[in-house]
Amino acid sequence: MQAMPALQRITRSALLIALVIVVLGFSWRATGIDLPRLLRDLPKGATLVRAFLTPDLFTREVETSVIGVDFPVPCGSAPQGVPPTNGPRLLPSVGCAAPGETFTLMGKEFPASSEILVRWLLPDGRTLNAVRVRTDAQGAFTATLQARPILTTQDGKSARLEAEIQRPVGGLKPSQALRDVAREMFVTIFMALLSTTIATLIAAPLSFLAASNITRRGCLGSGVYYLSRSFFNIIRAYDPLVMATIFAFWLGYGPFAGVLALTVVTIASLGKLFSEVVENIDPGPLEALQACGANRLQTVRYAVVPQIVPDFISFIIYHWDINVRISTIIGYVGGGGIGFYLSQRINGFEYNQAGTALWAIVIVVWLMDFLSAEVRKRVV
Amino acid sequence: MLRVEHLTKIYPNGTVALKDVSFEVPDGEFLVVIGLSGSGKSTLLRCINRLIEPTEGKIYWNDVDITAASPAQLRQIRRQIGMIFQQFNLVRRSKVITNVLAGRLGYVNPWLSLLGIWPAEERRRALAALERVGIADKAYERADALSGGQQQRVGIARALMQEPRLILADEPVASLDPVLAHSILQYLEELNKEGVTVICSLHFLDLVHRYATRVIALKQGVKVFEGKPQEIDRQRFKEIYGEEAQEVRAASL
Repeated sequence: MQAMPALQRITRSALLIALVIVVLGFSWRATGIDLPRLLRDLPKGATLVRAFLTPDLFTREVETSVIGVDFPVPCGSAPQGVPPTNGPRLLPSVGCAAPGETFTLMGKEFPASSEILVRWLLPDGRTLNAVRVRTDAQGAFTATLQARPILTTQDGKSARLEAEIQRPVGGLKPSQALRDVAREMFVTIFMALLSTTIATLIAAPLSFLAASNITRRGCLGSGVYYLSRSFFNIIRAYDPLVMATIFAFWLGYGPFAGVLALTVVTIASLGKLFSEVVENIDPGPLEALQACGANRLQTVRYAVVPQIVPDFISFIIYHWDINVRISTIIGYVGGGGIGFYLSQRINGFEYNQAGTALWAIVIVVWLMDFLSAEVRKRVV
Repeated sequence: MLRVEHLTKIYPNGTVALKDVSFEVPDGEFLVVIGLSGSGKSTLLRCINRLIEPTEGKIYWNDVDITAASPAQLRQIRRQIGMIFQQFNLVRRSKVITNVLAGRLGYVNPWLSLLGIWPAEERRRALAALERVGIADKAYERADALSGGQQQRVGIARALMQEPRLILADEPVASLDPVLAHSILQYLEELNKEGVTVICSLHFLDLVHRYATRVIALKQGVKVFEGKPQEIDRQRFKEIYGEEAQEVRAASL
């Protein structure tokens, strides 16, 4: 072959580079890359990240008590309330007021530096939030209130000013979110465990049919071999997400759909891996046992199984690990478990709770990763 | 009595491994097959128990046509024919005793054997077989923990479990240190003296002289010599192995 002239070579390289640049530029525009926006919308992202970083983990049980004082509007329509002289108490600057009049409310000996909700208990029994205040270090606050016409005394019953005090009792307790996340996480882990187990039970025998060194003998054998091999390949073409969407549509949202989707996907994946393990065994022992007069099943049991068990176990554990990870995602499209919980919290703008779920996923995935690596190291 | 008639094997890729080979092996003989690597020795041995299907020709074992046997009949025939391999062909991860018991698979209840249940009698038989080849103390070790010579003895113990009438040994000492060759072949000789027919492929001419009662030689799939071991002199040797061949004596190593 003759060497290309230098000019032609350079032109060709230049054209090639130009083409690559054009293609990359096109993909840049097609995907709507907007770098300034990344900075402009930083506060939005920061809010989310802050919420995720402060997951809802623990709550303190609180005891709620209500302090109140009768406050007739207008004056004289009902007896005035008499505040106690010690303990948490509400002290209005006037004992009663005309509708529309403003007055100052003082609170004393409330829990220090805490939030207090001041509200009206209307004569008809309904409540009307007045103001939310923060007490100082001594447990006191002042607020300006207006006596609104709705407070007018009815049937000799006056309105009442109330403040709610919440006092923590007992120690820290797992929050509702933490308990929900723990429950859903277990559902997810068991989803992965169940689907891996079922998939193993189905994939292990099938993998022998899809192993050329075991099955591919004669016409029938070849037929079975190609059939089982194509079965694995066809299912493998479907992504777990697609599979989960189909099953969620079919069976409704929930772990059952998730387990089925994971099982089908795992059968294909494990079946293919298993059959490759079976194909890579040392054929010597097979030959030896055939020569002894052992039948096909005996040969598999004594010559094949001992050779494949460590690899099989390793792949099974690896898939459990993978399935925990996938099931968090397929939960998102309706497969139940932690993924479903996460999608609900995010859609409901409960980012702290979503943060709890995210942390749980990170921890469990990391743990499974570590465990599966440890176990596999030991088995092989 | 084993009778091989006009045996031909052509592999699917067109290689002619055996071409019209005929010979007879009377009971109690120690027949050694010699020839270069690729001359068809392994193919010949594997055609006898049909690990490889012959293309043409007939093989009779005590007047039963092996080449026409149904799968069930073939298993019946195979269990009387022990086989020993160059690479030992043990299940490396299994225990020695499991490897030896596996030699008995053609005799025991297939369903129990699939569950891994072996009658006490068979376990005793396996330990006795290991005792005979001198490694009873290794029975519960993993096969791959043993040295090459010990592994080949496990291979012999496995063949012993079959109570064989015929033993096919495919270069049983070629993967071993030459000094171990005699220790392995002596077991075969011992069995031969008890009346078991042995067909064995070998490389070293002095081993042929020492153990064979009769010799056949293959060259490119064709039988080029059949006779007494003493008849193989330097001249014959050159004919079989080609002009460049140099005889190596195991004893000199």
